[in-house]
Amino acid sequence: MQSQSIFSIQTPVGPPVEIIRHTFASQSLQPSKRVSLVTGLHGDELEGLYICHRLTQILKTLEEQDASAFKGEINIYPAVNPQALETGTRLWPFFSNDINRTFGRTEPPSLPGEMSSTLLEDLKANSDLVVDIHSSNLHLMELPQIRIIKKFEKKLVPLAKLCNVDLIWVHPHADIFESTLGYNLNQAQIPTLVIETGICLRINKNHCAQIVLGILNLLRKTGVLDTDEPQVAIPEPKLLQPESVTMIQAGNAGLFIKQAEVGQTVSEGEKIGDLIDPVQGQVLEEVRSPCSGLLFTLREHPLTLKGAPLARIATEGSA
Amino acid sequence: MKEKVLSIPTPFGAPLDFYKNTWGKSGDTLSIVSGLQGDHLNGMYLNSRLSQFLDSVVEGIDPNYTLKGRVVSFPVANLNAIQSGSKLWPYDGLDMDLAFPGNPQGETTEALASAIYTHTADSYWGCILQSAPPHYEDAPHIQTLKVDGRIKKLCRDLQIETARKLNEPTKVNLLHHWHVRDIVAVTLSAGSPRTLNRPQCETLFQGIVNFMVAEKILKDKRKLKPEENTKPQFYETNDEVAVLASTAGMFLKEMKVGTSVQKGQQLGEIRDIYSGKRLEEITAPEDGFLITLRQYPIVYEKEPIATILTPKKSWREFLPWS
Repeated sequence: MQSQSIFSIQTPVGPPVEIIRHTFASQSLQPSKRVSLVTGLHGDELEGLYICHRLTQILKTLEEQDASAFKGEINIYPAVNPQALETGTRLWPFFSNDINRTFGRTEPPSLPGEMSSTLLEDLKANSDLVVDIHSSNLHLMELPQIRIIKKFEKKLVPLAKLCNVDLIWVHPHADIFESTLGYNLNQAQIPTLVIETGICLRINKNHCAQIVLGILNLLRKTGVLDTDEPQVAIPEPKLLQPESVTMIQAGNAGLFIKQAEVGQTVSEGEKIGDLIDPVQGQVLEEVRSPCSGLLFTLREHPLTLKGAPLARIATEGSA
Repeated sequence: MKEKVLSIPTPFGAPLDFYKNTWGKSGDTLSIVSGLQGDHLNGMYLNSRLSQFLDSVVEGIDPNYTLKGRVVSFPVANLNAIQSGSKLWPYDGLDMDLAFPGNPQGETTEALASAIYTHTADSYWGCILQSAPPHYEDAPHIQTLKVDGRIKKLCRDLQIETARKLNEPTKVNLLHHWHVRDIVAVTLSAGSPRTLNRPQCETLFQGIVNFMVAEKILKDKRKLKPEENTKPQFYETNDEVAVLASTAGMFLKEMKVGTSVQKGQQLGEIRDIYSGKRLEEITAPEDGFLITLRQYPIVYEKEPIATILTPKKSWREFLPWS
């Protein structure tokens, strides 16, 4: 494994801020694909870091024992927003702006903009396929899933099926996506899968192990890794089109007390939780599922405002 | 007239009420929005100053003006961020100016954005009041996404000297959505976040009054001889020069925003915080107008320190007899 700093800047009083790329080079005379993994765009999303740690551990050992297995190149960018990661906050605290809303934008000139531009160009120069790993925000728990903008569906769904996620959610385009890493790479004809799993500031080892297995499968199926390990059967994920996702939103403000778990199959009318008024001692809403299906998103942060998402259900019958 | 446009329940107390101000009933509407970022105090102060002024006009207390058109204002757009004393509301960390056109069924910030958009969507003119981005100070100026005849007239009527055309930064901010609805809209920027600069606000206040008189939203009852109009200088995006730090440390400024600088002139210096030694002298790379300057002294390497507007020479200046 070779490590290279792709971005380095001096800080006012501390060590430099650096973005590191680890590369497992191809040992083949005719290298196959170059696959890049990116994590840590948001500093409070830690599961991607753990996934990269596990993959690096596995790949380093494999490289020592059977370097010829590397038919293609693997790049790992394990911590691309170092100052946010060091403070455990979504945003780089000094600038308070979301790095994943700065890609493809040139104005106003800023250090986070410079950083995202360098990362984007490095990924473009070194990748034929990218996997960008995220956790959910502080509010929602998510089953491992890949989200795909409708216009990239044809190219990305076959790749996403290899990643051992529970579901693939094809959703309509929204303007806000245009400044994200995933959108800009896909626009640049570099297929990019955006994985969303768990919740920020926590590590769910089972979900992470599931995704590690999926990425190893992706690397093997795309010809980047060639090992004699027996192939593990990867179950077919649910493929959700926009109409097969039902969202439940809070009709009041209060505390949400959940009575279900993400990953559970719920029936129509089944109780998911209560929205309570903590001051008056009242139950404001009994939150029930409007349909039968897989509960793949569930509110974890109890403090709830009107309109906040409480749950998402993959309605029964979706593929 | 202060009017409640939205009431959102909160988990622990009274609902969050969201208000707009309206003056006048007929004619083309000018909408003025401030406080999209919770720490942009100049805009909020300026909007409240305009409220006081328009109230006095409508109540007949102001001897000089009568209201002929219609004005709508949202002085405090991002209520929760303002109450938190921060740019963003810590609960959702959402930049309200990345939330337009909003969603009436969505969470608080999206619902507020939707209310602002809905209540201003039929305006003829729009004006967003803001400060510079965090850590910077802006000289009072106009920002626009396009420069056509109507925008040029708006800028001329405002009588503010400097107008910058920006590249369209995103499709999810209010200015973009106003433009999509064919509203003649600009942003007025002055000062820095978390500070109030009343002289800068006064410059913009006078500009907005000038505009309202020129567009007959206000009638000036005095028979004043019209003063010679200030013609704004328009700057394209390629007229802007960013001055970057090549070291990290403490930036000590030597200049004020809103002044002309000459190539080689010192803008400030960066010192090492441990030793106090000068690491770098920051100088102007070209002649121009200092529109933005670093206000917060701690800087990282490669951060922009200043933005200088450098008007390109007219072809006429290259003629042999010039």
